[in-house]
Amino acid sequence: MKRNRKTMQYLILAAVLLIGGYAIGNSLFSTSEVLQKGDTPPGFRLAGLDDKAHDLKDYEGKPLIINFWGTFCGPCRDEMPALQKQYDKWQAQGLELIGINLGEDRLTAESFVRNVDVNFPILLDKDRQTLNEYGVRQYPTTFFISADGTIQDVVVGGPLSEQEIETRVQQLMMP
Amino acid sequence: MIENSKCECGHQNPVGTVLCESCGKPLFEDSQNDADTPLEMRYDGVARRSQKEDPAIIDRIWSFFSSVKIAIILIFLTLVGASLGTIFVQESTLINLKTTEEFADYYEETYGTAGLIYHALGLSRTYESWWFVGLLVMIGTSLVICSLDRVLPLYRALSKQQIRKHLQFITRQQVVYTGRIEQEPEAWVAAAAQQLKRKRYRVWQEGSALLAEKNRFSRWGPYINHIGLIVFLLAVLARGIPGWHMDQYVSLYEGEREPIPGTNYYVQSDKFNLQLYKDEELADNQKGTNVVKLYETKAKLFECIDVCDDPTKEPVLRQVQQHAIHVNSPLQYKGLKLYQNSYRQHIRLISVHPSLMDTATGKSFGSFDLMMDNPKLTYDVGPYKIRLSDYYPDFGFDDQKRPMTKSREPNNPAFIFRVSGPGITGEEVYSYFPLPNASSKDFQESLNAAFKEAGANTGRFTFKVANMFQQGKMEGVKYSEFSTFLNVRVDRAMPYIWVGAAISMIGLIMGFYWQHRRIWLRIDDGMLSLGAHTNKNSYGLRADVASTLGKTGITVTPKELDNRRNVR
Repeated sequence: MKRNRKTMQYLILAAVLLIGGYAIGNSLFSTSEVLQKGDTPPGFRLAGLDDKAHDLKDYEGKPLIINFWGTFCGPCRDEMPALQKQYDKWQAQGLELIGINLGEDRLTAESFVRNVDVNFPILLDKDRQTLNEYGVRQYPTTFFISADGTIQDVVVGGPLSEQEIETRVQQLMMP
Repeated sequence: MIENSKCECGHQNPVGTVLCESCGKPLFEDSQNDADTPLEMRYDGVARRSQKEDPAIIDRIWSFFSSVKIAIILIFLTLVGASLGTIFVQESTLINLKTTEEFADYYEETYGTAGLIYHALGLSRTYESWWFVGLLVMIGTSLVICSLDRVLPLYRALSKQQIRKHLQFITRQQVVYTGRIEQEPEAWVAAAAQQLKRKRYRVWQEGSALLAEKNRFSRWGPYINHIGLIVFLLAVLARGIPGWHMDQYVSLYEGEREPIPGTNYYVQSDKFNLQLYKDEELADNQKGTNVVKLYETKAKLFECIDVCDDPTKEPVLRQVQQHAIHVNSPLQYKGLKLYQNSYRQHIRLISVHPSLMDTATGKSFGSFDLMMDNPKLTYDVGPYKIRLSDYYPDFGFDDQKRPMTKSREPNNPAFIFRVSGPGITGEEVYSYFPLPNASSKDFQESLNAAFKEAGANTGRFTFKVANMFQQGKMEGVKYSEFSTFLNVRVDRAMPYIWVGAAISMIGLIMGFYWQHRRIWLRIDDGMLSLGAHTNKNSYGLRADVASTLGKTGITVTPKELDNRRNVR
């Protein structure tokens, strides 16, 4: 009886610690809806203009730039050529670059891309879910993700100059 | 301090016992001396389980949470904390804001410096904060431990009660009577037992001593109430389990279908209705004002049944539910609930039905459906083939005077068509602006003129919706007048919250509407000593005793039985 009582006490306190700890922990570490440096970017699976499905996993282990853009956004249009040039320059060293269009019609995105002569993968975020998961609030927003899969830098707004992109790419390339 | 807790009747009581568990004799010296005051009958004088001679750390934690004083402090702190959360709106209700900076700006703009401080202190997220959840967890712990610590000893004490109690125990109850009995003691006790049984008491007799008891179950009311509260609290905490709780918003224009993030479902709004009260339905002081009678979204819910993961293909959907969502009448499907939240009046083009016309004669070659979202790329109209080569939903020019779209919304859509067919060498390029306003038509004409000048077209075709205005109605144009905002909720904890609340209510009713009444009596040398105790409604108990005594030949008024008359 005495022994039982002690066991009961430990059991109840353990349950309290477990449940309470979980609840308090949840509230302490509730993830912010906005991605920041050091976070792991949420996965996505989107159709590209090339009619193929692109998964974030396909880019694992490589330094990656994700640029959220739309043809309706002036700075996005302005920084596209700079992104393309940097992509040309660093592609051989393993840099990957993805442009995620902000839920526009395929035709609209396609004709812009054709005019600017972009050849990195452009993905269509049809339902704008990826946009929301990445907490993108202003356009353009560019994520610089290192090969180990963590966000090294987030640039909100633009246009980014070639120099600005290059310094960040160099950081991504550092071992 | 080591107390000698052995009673004179020979029973060994646990530390902290107030009244001997067996005979009921008061065990503390000071309470023995003060023979006039009624006894402290809380928990029948038994010791709480946590009261120990030499407490270890776990016992100290245990007795901390076992204290009612601590519980009251915790409840008070929680009340204060919860009320702090009501000073300004909580972040969770501001559905358009996301980042900390946005929230900070909002609070500063709306409430000034106080708002900024409020946000900085984290009070804008009171109910999700670690300290608030911590308080709830502590209250839960206190509920469990307080109850266990008291209910088990009390249960033991009540299930093995001695019938012949210590004389001091009897004479120091709140309801007492002492008097001489002329009859043969056991016969009188039997007669009294008979009377008490008629009042639905359970009666035990042991020679000339008697115990009568009624409604003991009401003593368990508070503990059942606590069990309910614990279930309630656990259910609230269970919302943290992934998949148990969802609270998000979807905005839909009429005809739009959107996926519900994090689920396999899609929701579509067919129509939004806004109805105002007519003047004759309104009170005098409201006449002429817009009072809303109905917000309604005619909604359909779809489930993806195939190709859900391949973004290059259209998912295969199956309609699973249909409902006219009103305020407080959500669409429900398998725990998913869609509530009407708000709306926005906003004209949005959905599709037009233009005709390809001969500019000179006005003759139509045929017509086609042109969607504003994901328009088809080719159309066959009469003998001609039309190819859509560019689409600007919100036409404008960028700073280099190149055409661009200013937003994703079809506020001023512009289409560039390439027509081929009989009599055309190659393709002719035409722009088409479906909106029937002057600036759109100007754009259309000047663009087409520029194409003509550049030799891209001959000007023989015009795109136009034939007879757009008929009897004051727009023909050949589909548009949405309202966007609706739906609140999508999943709350799997809700059934448990109801169960907890129901258990708690049962406990409250048990404790409130019945009273545990006990009567002890013994006759020593022809002297009757009677004591009675109840946890509430001592009037009822005194009436019971007076009537029992009256029917066995002792006339006494209920008021005379009140032992507390000396004190008050």
